[in-house]
Amino acid sequence: MYLMADILINVILAFLAGSLLLGLHRKIMARIQLRPGPPIIQYLLHSLKFFFKESSFPKTASMPFYIGIVVILAGIWVTGVIVGPVTQGSLMIIFGIYAIHKIVEHNSGSSSGSPYGKVSCVRAVFSAAGELPLFACIAILFLITGSMNISDIIAYQAVHGPLIYTAPLAAIMFFTLILTKSPYSPFAITKGKDIISGFETEHYGFLRGFIMLSESVAWYILLWLFLTIFFGPIGIIGYVIGMIVITAITAFINATTPMLNPNHSVMAQFTITLVCLVGSIVMLLIL
Amino acid sequence: MNKMKTTSYVILIVSALAILYALIFNPADWIVYAIAIVCIPFFILAFGLLTMSKPIKDEEEERVEEPFIGY
Amino acid sequence: MSITTIGGDLIGTIPLGDIVLYLNPLHLFLFVTIIVFTILIAVSRTETQVEAMFGSLDENKVSVGLKEFKHRRFLAIICGIATAGAMITGDLFNFTLFMALIGIVNIGIVSAVKQIDVLDSAYQYGLIAMMCGLPLFGGAAIILASTGTLSLFKLAMMPTVAPMTIFGALMMLVGIAGESGIAPFFASKAEMFRTPGSPFILIIHLSSLFIIVRAVEILLIIIHVI
Repeated sequence: MYLMADILINVILAFLAGSLLLGLHRKIMARIQLRPGPPIIQYLLHSLKFFFKESSFPKTASMPFYIGIVVILAGIWVTGVIVGPVTQGSLMIIFGIYAIHKIVEHNSGSSSGSPYGKVSCVRAVFSAAGELPLFACIAILFLITGSMNISDIIAYQAVHGPLIYTAPLAAIMFFTLILTKSPYSPFAITKGKDIISGFETEHYGFLRGFIMLSESVAWYILLWLFLTIFFGPIGIIGYVIGMIVITAITAFINATTPMLNPNHSVMAQFTITLVCLVGSIVMLLIL
Repeated sequence: MNKMKTTSYVILIVSALAILYALIFNPADWIVYAIAIVCIPFFILAFGLLTMSKPIKDEEEERVEEPFIGY
Repeated sequence: MSITTIGGDLIGTIPLGDIVLYLNPLHLFLFVTIIVFTILIAVSRTETQVEAMFGSLDENKVSVGLKEFKHRRFLAIICGIATAGAMITGDLFNFTLFMALIGIVNIGIVSAVKQIDVLDSAYQYGLIAMMCGLPLFGGAAIILASTGTLSLFKLAMMPTVAPMTIFGALMMLVGIAGESGIAPFFASKAEMFRTPGSPFILIIHLSSLFIIVRAVEILLIIIHVI
């Protein structure tokens, strides 16, 4: 019934909640670093403000892609909202969405012709290793619950209790992914400050506002997924508290950790995945 | 530039109508998904293309020509 | 049945004898995305790389020539179509064939470039891809020998899984990893992305990522009964 209304409400909710959470993330980071920091609402204001800024498209850009990739980014996260909160579909589609998110980082970097974007584009190829924790995590969840559908996983948890007790190492792998996707993360090699803003450098003006809008939806969906597939049905209050807590934890980690260089970042993610994957399989066999 | 403005208006109106159609008439699920995935991003894109401020005529060439380097 | 628990409810099937083609939301999503990207590639211009020169105020512009552009665009579209095929096929052997085609075309896309580093990298990637052809097809052959079918639909309904099938699946994973140049093998591939021509190098990366998503699904289908 009224599917479109459901989708629209969820997209807007994801945008607002995601923006506020990212603003909170920035605020907490600032306070840890003994700065006052911008107001929590600043991220939301920024993404709206950019829509009215002067924009032009560089002559060197690869044309339909330079704009199209931003539309695709929004398209995949609307899909993410549909697969996640609206229909509770297959986790494999979420995995596919993350693959396309990587492609967006890759192509929005290279389509402008800027050297900073180009470095970010090459790094995006390396950082495909960042998706390994997600893959290992959902494979473990499939072996435990016997299903990839989020609705089945929720149903499983309603009977057997939250999965975070059954598969804590899988939760650590998923948390690594959240950390990778958070702003100023030690693993965010595609957005490292040595390459200005990485793939976003040449998308200025309203295109940047559009990207920020999609990224806030992405952040909300990521946290929603973590809470849903590891804590089960927890209600609205649970989601709000959980999202704020996870955002605060990632802010603490990001504020106190330097950005790793690409090799270290990839190896760190790879090592965490390997240790947690082997550990999870051993736990599955023993328990 | 005028062409872009016309195109943006067309995209904005078409996507808004498609979203309203799905909202009011409640068609089959897959049509709603298709409309949501295609039309919501295009609606925002067209909105952005209309609201963004354009560079003034004298600077236009400069903005497009030398985008990356500060000097 | 594991097909619906992995990719969502079945949308439809095409029973062609032993090989049943089936479509679920996951395949549809991947297929539509790759088609959209392929169309965008077909109509896209290439970008011009701009770099500031060292020691002067000039800039160095690198762009793609017309002949090279046509050649690479053709191969990129073939790569897109091959990936789209690999996304919706219901047959393990077709999947490996599409995979091999993607590997060959990926080398082709960068082989038209006249930059030594890039060609070196493409050569090394080509060697890895060739070597990984053996475990790729070998793995599929072992799966056929141990189960008697290559249809994923039938593999999903197998009541038990033999150790040899798991071995075949792991061999295939090694083959796919090498052929698409992911995790342990990407060192040979990353340099290829430094060349201009962003829409074409996009499809190299896109095809390998999508192949991995599909390969994960196939592996989970094969080993689902553990």
